Amino acid sequence: MRRTGAAVVAALAALAAMAIVLALLGHPPARTMAILFQGAAGSSFAISESLLKSIPLLFTALAVVVAFRAGVWNIGGEGQFIVGGIAALAVGGMIEGGAVASILSLMAGIAGGAAWAWIAVLLRNLRQAPEVLTTILLNFVAVHLMGWLINGPLQEEGRRYPQSDPLPPESLLPAAGSTRLHLGIVLAIGAAIAVHLFLFHSAAGLRLRATGLNVLAARWSGVRTRAEITRAMLLSGALAGCGGAVELLGVTGRLYERFASGAGFGGIAVALLAQLHPLGAIPTAVFFGALSTGAGALQRSAGVSAALATLGQGIAVLVLLTLASRMKKEAGGGTAIFFRRLFRRTLRDSESAS
Amino acid sequence: MIGLIEVMLLAGAPLLLAVLGELVLQRSGALNIGLEGTMLAAAFGAAMGASMGGSAIAGIGGAIAGAAIPSVVFGLLVFHRRIDAIVVGVAMNLVAAGGTTLLYQHPRTGRRLAGGLPSFPKLEIFGIAVDPLILFAWLAAPLLIGALLWKSRPGLRLRAAGENPDSLSYGGFPVARYRWMALGVETVLAGLAGAAVAIGLAHGFAENMIAGRGFIALSIVIFARWSVSGAVGGVALFALATALQYSAQAGGSGWGYQIFLAFPYVLTLMILLAVPGIVRAPAALGK
Repeated sequence: MRRTGAAVVAALAALAAMAIVLALLGHPPARTMAILFQGAAGSSFAISESLLKSIPLLFTALAVVVAFRAGVWNIGGEGQFIVGGIAALAVGGMIEGGAVASILSLMAGIAGGAAWAWIAVLLRNLRQAPEVLTTILLNFVAVHLMGWLINGPLQEEGRRYPQSDPLPPESLLPAAGSTRLHLGIVLAIGAAIAVHLFLFHSAAGLRLRATGLNVLAARWSGVRTRAEITRAMLLSGALAGCGGAVELLGVTGRLYERFASGAGFGGIAVALLAQLHPLGAIPTAVFFGALSTGAGALQRSAGVSAALATLGQGIAVLVLLTLASRMKKEAGGGTAIFFRRLFRRTLRDSESAS
Repeated sequence: MIGLIEVMLLAGAPLLLAVLGELVLQRSGALNIGLEGTMLAAAFGAAMGASMGGSAIAGIGGAIAGAAIPSVVFGLLVFHRRIDAIVVGVAMNLVAAGGTTLLYQHPRTGRRLAGGLPSFPKLEIFGIAVDPLILFAWLAAPLLIGALLWKSRPGLRLRAAGENPDSLSYGGFPVARYRWMALGVETVLAGLAGAAVAIGLAHGFAENMIAGRGFIALSIVIFARWSVSGAVGGVALFALATALQYSAQAGGSGWGYQIFLAFPYVLTLMILLAVPGIVRAPAALGK
């Protein structure tokens, strides 16, 4: 309950900070914030657009949740998202359109994201190269790889713009009514529930969280921490890659330069505001999705840069971190209790096995 | 050949300044993923300063002031609230990217920062015109940082904050003071790096103009194994590769050059893969 409270306070603080920034830039804050809210949730179309924007954020946020819970810093959601999109396009373009094609595309996206994350985990396991840096570098490699593909091998037939040909419409995910909101939202929420069940209601999830809380204590409790970290990183990449495939199959239908447009770092912000809780990531992703939809409307009607949403994301995270650090100080001792439980559980398992 | 080296020294200057700054900070036990954002804020500050003050020197003042804003927030949250430096750094990158783009696209501030800023006066040495930035980044800064870290008493304590903070505080020296000092050094150097990009290389500000240099600097710090000579060598290698990439781009034609843009990042990954054995970081890094 207190965690939810902290997230709400952080979100409100971000909105307040945005209003102050708007006022400082000489825009009437009441009127511009009203445009922002109208653009984000003022009509059923606006709401559907906000939800649409939250889908990629939710996938990349879940990727971050899984990785950070295991204590690995996967900052590479953006790259894994892009490679997921590339893989989905490549596979989707090879087969005749239809439901089978979209399922195979999705699976290719998942595999592509996991493979991209695997490079970072390989460097970590072989050379102790910190994944916090290698994943960032892999983001840039992915961006330029896509840039090369859409200017070269995968460029559209007409070779006019730096973008790929679209997938056949029958391969794309079905949309709801006249909106652009597509089946991906069901997949994203399903993924959030699955990650929640995995992390908090399965033995594998327990081992993963133990690794993240304290590597040494986890190892002494019988957890093979290196395998846990590898698995967490692959799962994380798979989720981000799935996000890329869903975005491709649900919204864009093709690759172009701004395909990822900040989904990676936005996902980190969502995950942090949700305090690494997979179900909490659903409302936070919607909040940030709405924020960027509203900022887009503000850019169109008042000429304020849509980067306002990025600023809001950053401020929300900073406020939340400050609040959470105070809560942690008061709580304390939680980790010790966790490991006592884990140790008892391992003991019980080994007794029942013998 | 001379042209290639000049491009290399010029392109490497902001990178080397950033690497040295981050190296000092990491030696004191803190890691700033937000370096990219700090440099971006500095580049914006440099453009503002140069445009308002009408000189490159004013630009440097603006750059350091711009870099100081994210640095102070980082220091307060990481050193005093004990919040994880990586997440603070990620958030600072978002704030810096959002904030500078917002200001840049604002009709009253932005447009005049886009170009035509005053440039640094060239220095004349043995009849050759040298960019003062190159001189400072490749000669003065490494010597100064080397002397600070290895030949001075505060430098010794700064490194102690990164290796064994407890012994430092038992000796009666507050750890936070030395980390703040290191952060101050990083702020000045990242500020100069931002000025080097906005004034030295581009003569104007552009959205996200740091383009990953901050992240590459973080990797080079590891490649350099936290040593000043390693930093100079790493940046030289990297800058040479970048300069070669430019000439390959200029020579080649068609779409193939796009893949060269990924080259610096692939190279950094290869370097990390090639570093044999365990990379030994300052013992208390990130603690």
